[in-house]
Amino acid sequence: MVMRNLKIIGLLIFTSLGILSCEPKIKSPIPSKGELDVSKVIYIGDGQMGGYMNDGLKNEGQKNSLANILAAQFELVGSYPAITPFINSASIGISTAGLSPLHLGYKTDCQGTVSLSPVRDASTGDVSSISQSCYDANNPFTVFGIPGLRLNQFTNPSLAGTNAFYNRMCASPNVSLLDELLAQNATFFQLYIGLEDVLGYAKSGGTNETLPSDLQFQQNYEQVVQNLTANGAKGAIATIPDVSQMPYFRTIPWNGLTLDNGNVGTLNNIYNPLGFYFQLGSNPFMIVDSSANMFAVRQIQSSELLLLSLPLDSVKCNQMGVLFPIRDEFVLDVEELALLRGKIQSYNNFIRQIAQTYNLALVNTDQLVSRLADGFTYNGVSMTAKFVSGGAYSLDGIYLSPRGNAHFANAFIKAINKKYHSTIPEVNANKFDGVRFP
Amino acid sequence: MGCAGSANFLDASSLFFNPGTSAFANKSEVNVAGTPIFANVLFTDSSTKTSYRTQNPIGTPFSVYGLYRFKKSLEPLTLGLAIYTPFGSTVQWEPNWIGRFALTRLSLKAIFIQPTFSYRFNERLGFGAGFVVSSGSVNLQKDIPVQDSLGNYGRAELAGKALGFGYNAGVLFHVNPNFSIGLSYRSKVSMSVSNGLATFSVPSALTSSFPDGIFSSQLPLPSVLTLGLSFNLNSKWSFVLDVNHVNWKVYDTLAFDYAQNTSALSDTKSARKYESIFAFRGGVSYAATKKWTLRLGSGFGFTPVQSGYVTPETPDANRLYGTGGFSFAPNNHFSIDASLYLTRMQRTDKNLETQLNGTFTSIALAPGISLNYVW
Repeated sequence: MVMRNLKIIGLLIFTSLGILSCEPKIKSPIPSKGELDVSKVIYIGDGQMGGYMNDGLKNEGQKNSLANILAAQFELVGSYPAITPFINSASIGISTAGLSPLHLGYKTDCQGTVSLSPVRDASTGDVSSISQSCYDANNPFTVFGIPGLRLNQFTNPSLAGTNAFYNRMCASPNVSLLDELLAQNATFFQLYIGLEDVLGYAKSGGTNETLPSDLQFQQNYEQVVQNLTANGAKGAIATIPDVSQMPYFRTIPWNGLTLDNGNVGTLNNIYNPLGFYFQLGSNPFMIVDSSANMFAVRQIQSSELLLLSLPLDSVKCNQMGVLFPIRDEFVLDVEELALLRGKIQSYNNFIRQIAQTYNLALVNTDQLVSRLADGFTYNGVSMTAKFVSGGAYSLDGIYLSPRGNAHFANAFIKAINKKYHSTIPEVNANKFDGVRFP
Repeated sequence: MGCAGSANFLDASSLFFNPGTSAFANKSEVNVAGTPIFANVLFTDSSTKTSYRTQNPIGTPFSVYGLYRFKKSLEPLTLGLAIYTPFGSTVQWEPNWIGRFALTRLSLKAIFIQPTFSYRFNERLGFGAGFVVSSGSVNLQKDIPVQDSLGNYGRAELAGKALGFGYNAGVLFHVNPNFSIGLSYRSKVSMSVSNGLATFSVPSALTSSFPDGIFSSQLPLPSVLTLGLSFNLNSKWSFVLDVNHVNWKVYDTLAFDYAQNTSALSDTKSARKYESIFAFRGGVSYAATKKWTLRLGSGFGFTPVQSGYVTPETPDANRLYGTGGFSFAPNNHFSIDASLYLTRMQRTDKNLETQLNGTFTSIALAPGISLNYVW
């Protein structure tokens, strides 16, 4: 009797152990490409598309580019892997100005204070990394993320002569980018262009009057889209973000002039006759404004922006922004901001219209940049537009970090899935780097 | 029997279910039980369609119950000591899972020690009450989204010991020899962590922003009010039903108060907003022979977790479970109980705080064994 009971108990325990191996089963539907033809997907844009970050292009950034992140997800619905004009992985890379990229390190300022700061990887960029052609006719590139690329350069047959990043990847130096793209005979294109067209103006503090006219912009944009869709290809196009929401324009506070008892009095003596008053603590910096008064100087307003290019050592140690007003090239004033934002808005209105006319997916990258400016939480990670710590932007304050690119890629995927009834999975953006700390 | 048992005396575990029923113990007895819990959770992220699993260690709830039955003039009195672990689990998520910045591991342990007295007023009415001391520990780990020069993420670990107090009281009323009603109340136990230690591993440039140090926190364990019914059809068949009201409303916020705050490390207050719920548990037992008794049961509990507040620490959902088991009593002194508990639940939610969005599927299986000695 006891033996039989033991057997029953044994059987019960054994059966239980059998059930124990039962884990919840994964039931994920297979990603679908919907109405997309993904047999040839190409990626077109400026450095943002091509992985330019930390003010430089190098292999690591290219691997984490908007194009490459998107391409990896498109592979899940049958697309071929991206073909990228990679820079040698041993190279330190190069910026559009020939400098080396930035990393986060320590810097000693004019007062001897050591603090975390973006510093260059080397005294100069690796020119050899982009001086050789890497074009391979048997393996034509699908990633056309060309640092510095502007909309009015697509049809320029001599672009290769002025842009080394394009020169190294093009089939022939006398072929325009648009012809190069059309030769790919793509079935789907992802186009994010226009950022560089507004950055020239913004980064010069409004001193470079390079904003294209609405008509120019519209003609150039439509020409590109018309040609890319002529073979029946579908595509995704993206709006232009308000670049003034990026950390490059949001890091140095307008009222960063901190005064103590001693210098408040001095400054008030100097500036009170002009109608400017100073107090203990935070004060607005003084900036150049030719229309302000006969001395062409005034206090900056809270809505005006100081640029990251501002030489901070001059501010800290040489009275810049105090006795020597900050020059126009470091400031986006109210009028300049109004012009910049107005232009971006009107370009975007046209891009939205083009998306409708040509029946393309529209990616509202402008909204994503605004959301970053407000801050949002993604899978437990706070994403903001804060310089260095915000996670989305690289150390140049404009181009995105790998994690920022992943969020942009997700915006593309959402828009494409919606438009073409595909179910391409998004990426886990937190798998991608923000800014690395020493 | 479906984890119900507030309206009849089965064994010394009555000290937990309803100390009022302990008054009807006829003899002294000791009951020792262990219930290894095999629980697995699968999370499928809604936007990336990727899935991640827990790698939970086996849960080890145990209980020891002892009842001493007085004789002669003190005959209506029973003294008892209960040691049990009503709450507690370890959730360990797989490395690098998508919710790693919300939680990577949470271990909660609480041992309740409950000295109890029970008094039998007459053949129909019994009362019992016990004082509860709860000693526990909490260990919470998650990754921090700051990366060192190699790209490794930072990590936070909050560990501390917790102490709480409460009580457990109940009455049992035999309406007639075959029908009885029990009412019991287990009080809230507020587990306080006053001297926890927070440790952070972050890049060296950020160590001053994340200083290791002391934290305090509180985790309230809810009160449970139970109405139990027990009905004996005949000498072989009996039925039980318990209705619980669990006052989860006390778990409104999970707060961590750090002794030293910095710009990167502020005190946190995470809304949990649990709701009080009802749970229903029922079971049937069949005395097949003098020595063998078979049991089956089932229960249903509403989840206290509202939509928008589901977390990877407790991916809770409305819960339907089944139980089965048997008792074997080879002689008048000794008996052994074996049981099996099985549940599966699923919940899709987007957490408002972390924005983690997906489906949690949980399977839990708990084979239990309990040894009972009566004298």
